[in-house]
Amino acid sequence: MATDNANADGFGEVSRVRGIVFEYLSFGASVFGLVALGVLLVYVAIDAFDLANASPEWLLTYFLTLVVPFLAFCLYSANDRGVTRRALGALGGGLVAVAALFTAVETLVSPIPRLNWQLAYLFVVGAPATAYLAYVGSGGRVGAVGFGLLGRLVGGVAIGLAVGTLFLVFDPLLWFLAYTLGVLPAVGLYAVGRRRSTPRAQTAAAPVGLAGLIAAVVLRDVVSTYPSDLIIYLWTVAVPVAAAGGLLVAGRRGRTAAAVVAGLPLAVATAGGFLAAGAGLPAPTVLLVLVLTGVPTAAYVSRVVDAGEGLAGLGLPLLLGAGVIAGALIVEAWGVPAPDPWLDGSFLTGAPSRTPTDAGLYPAIVGSVIIIALVAVLSFALGVGTSVFLEEYTPESGPLGTLTRILQVNIANLAAVPSVVYGLLGLGLFANLLGLGIGTAVTAALTLSLLILPITIISAQEAIRSVPDDLRRGSDAMGATRWQTTKNVVLPEAMPGVLTGTILALGRAIGETAPLIMIGAATTVFRAPDSLFSRFSAMPMQIYTWAGFPQADFRYGVVAAGVITLLIILVGMNGTAILLRNRAERGS
Amino acid sequence: MASSHDADATGITRRKSLAAIASAGALGLAGCTQSGDGGDGGDELSGPINIAGSSTVFPLMSAIMEDFAEQHPGVDPDISSTGSGGGFSNFFCTGDTDFNNASRPIQPEEEELCADNGVEYVELIAATDALTVVVNPDADWIDSLTTEELAQIWKSDPVQTWDEVRDEFPNEEIERFGAADTSGTYDYFIEAILGEEGHTGDYQATEQDNTIAQGVSGSEYAIGYFGFAYYFQNPDQLKALGIDDGDGPVEPSLETASSGEYTPLSRPLFTYPSIESLGEEHIAEFARYFVEQTTNEDLVAGDVGYVPATEETQEEQLQTLEDAIEQAQG
Repeated sequence: MATDNANADGFGEVSRVRGIVFEYLSFGASVFGLVALGVLLVYVAIDAFDLANASPEWLLTYFLTLVVPFLAFCLYSANDRGVTRRALGALGGGLVAVAALFTAVETLVSPIPRLNWQLAYLFVVGAPATAYLAYVGSGGRVGAVGFGLLGRLVGGVAIGLAVGTLFLVFDPLLWFLAYTLGVLPAVGLYAVGRRRSTPRAQTAAAPVGLAGLIAAVVLRDVVSTYPSDLIIYLWTVAVPVAAAGGLLVAGRRGRTAAAVVAGLPLAVATAGGFLAAGAGLPAPTVLLVLVLTGVPTAAYVSRVVDAGEGLAGLGLPLLLGAGVIAGALIVEAWGVPAPDPWLDGSFLTGAPSRTPTDAGLYPAIVGSVIIIALVAVLSFALGVGTSVFLEEYTPESGPLGTLTRILQVNIANLAAVPSVVYGLLGLGLFANLLGLGIGTAVTAALTLSLLILPITIISAQEAIRSVPDDLRRGSDAMGATRWQTTKNVVLPEAMPGVLTGTILALGRAIGETAPLIMIGAATTVFRAPDSLFSRFSAMPMQIYTWAGFPQADFRYGVVAAGVITLLIILVGMNGTAILLRNRAERGS
Repeated sequence: MASSHDADATGITRRKSLAAIASAGALGLAGCTQSGDGGDGGDELSGPINIAGSSTVFPLMSAIMEDFAEQHPGVDPDISSTGSGGGFSNFFCTGDTDFNNASRPIQPEEEELCADNGVEYVELIAATDALTVVVNPDADWIDSLTTEELAQIWKSDPVQTWDEVRDEFPNEEIERFGAADTSGTYDYFIEAILGEEGHTGDYQATEQDNTIAQGVSGSEYAIGYFGFAYYFQNPDQLKALGIDDGDGPVEPSLETASSGEYTPLSRPLFTYPSIESLGEEHIAEFARYFVEQTTNEDLVAGDVGYVPATEETQEEQLQTLEDAIEQAQG
């Protein structure tokens, strides 16, 4: 203040230079990280999909058959002349600008490795323009329907694959008994109890379920004949999912529609499952994917048809599918040289290998998915438990209050402990002392849960603290007990914040390598783990190993494919969690 | 307007078809059942094989495991690259792994640790490696070093500039990249070159050959050493130095290593199966398969870049192994 006015009298002019400089410095700071990360991702994508060897004709073909129809769909949905004009201007102008700039840099400064101006155009102009138009397009009714349908298709496939992966390590026979004897009777009792409003049936549900679970564990080795895996999945997953979908629709539209929504996908999935079994494919996974994709899709289509708005959006998956097929046909017919991507089907379903072209990530993908699922459950339960206790049950003053504050400071400090130290803790405590085994999935999941626990606790505490005290007092005034207040008021209100913290923490856990090395997780396994106590490898471990291989193909192509897979799974996981959170937000 | 006869006929048909459906259903269900004991029938080999140890042996062992896993779908092998010493002290001698790979023989402290925990083992030779000393490909002023000069560069109190090593070398600081002290490569380098003098601490230590290669290709005055495989796969990225052990400089290659000319840096690589584990049939079978594969030139030399074992060595190893298996199973 004083310096500003040092050589001015009264209300002199105040220099704006500093303000402007500060603004641009902060702009630079925010762009720096994004640009660096963007360049890295572009190069990783180029390596993983072998785009450096993609001919311009190949890029053009798919640009015309896939990207252009998609952009047209978005523009049609947005139905806004201004947007259309700007989009076409940006795409056309960007083409000229990027080509000119790229050529100028290459001739004047130095050649840019593994990039050509077509690729640069796609990444610098094409990708942002597509993202922007998708955002604008989703605002329109048609676009919303199209993206909603696409989301359910992709999400259903992803969840189906994830559930199928989890069933690899859990004994399906035990699950069959547990479901039939425990889960089904308990849910049935609860539903009947709610329908007829007999509280006794509702209270009986939990003990009945528990008794059923215990019976299942006891009977597991006694019973000698079980249905085949496919029938188990049909009975325990596909039928309930279809029934749930049907019930949802029945509430809105009556029985016929419900029967169609539930029955059609179920029939398709069952047929698909048996066909897959005949063809030697993993039938249970096919069944799960089909039913978890089919039921939500059918329910969504039925809702859209009911609403009668934006029906054209239902064509979006067809448009994209047709684009892919048309592109493939053109490439095939005219013999356009296509790139040979590292990230392909055999990479995702194959085992690691010494030859780069045969190398696959499947066992490590399964390992990572299983660990993350366990970590999510463990850290959520432990994190929410701790934070509720610290926020709701501990006194704020007196000696106990001091103790709580000391505890708080320690939890905050734990967040800064290096991950290697947690690895040592896991090796000593879980692997050796508790005998859970060196390098097993359980040990890894417990170790990683401890690692991210401070982050989940702190963020859950913040979320609980931000619930207004008025709500608690209001609940108290209605005569609610502390447990009822916590359950009905505090937790629902805090849930979105709690989930945000958990999502961030899980993102860290999936990429950790150091603690896994410490607990002796395998560098390479050749089969997917088949129990929680078998040794496993995780994606970051396998990627790190490949990065050290002597062959250049491993260090560039295979590693890049692994990184992209890891990122896709991370995004899928976060996407699911964010959807859940948004739902919780809307609910509360 | 159906007659009673017709009605009868349809009745029978219906009953028949119901019976047919029922029997088909029963047959179908019979085909859709499984027994509760997992169903691992027959004498097919099955079970896990846990291996840890040297990062130098890792590519060879994992290549052999890959083939073995392909041939025996019931076997579930896994391997960790922990360094020879890390594998012995953290996993093998505590009884947690079935094999430990090592790029140098087991050391007395490790023998003691294994004995304390009652872990018995047998030593098998896996292949021969030629420890390779590399410099930047632009360094045209250097082609070879004598073992004494090498010791001057890497001893615990090393020379600082290149012209102290040899007068005609440039007056530039030496940048060193080498194996970390958990690595068998480090131990072997001390044994073969440095002896009592000990290894310098003034260098970039890593378990990753790739990091050494990156470091050396970054500076014209850098020097590094690692196993032969990396140089074999990327001969243009780095320049391997000839080593003069008194009989003139010899460059590292599969030929010079197997003929014994490349001294003192050609070294045997080992794997140590635990005798208790060899009692399990699938592990014994894997150990036999491993020894058989050590003479496979396509795999050992072509895919990985080590020197395959000779037929005689293989015979001896097989004999040692069979004795151990007999001891374990008999």
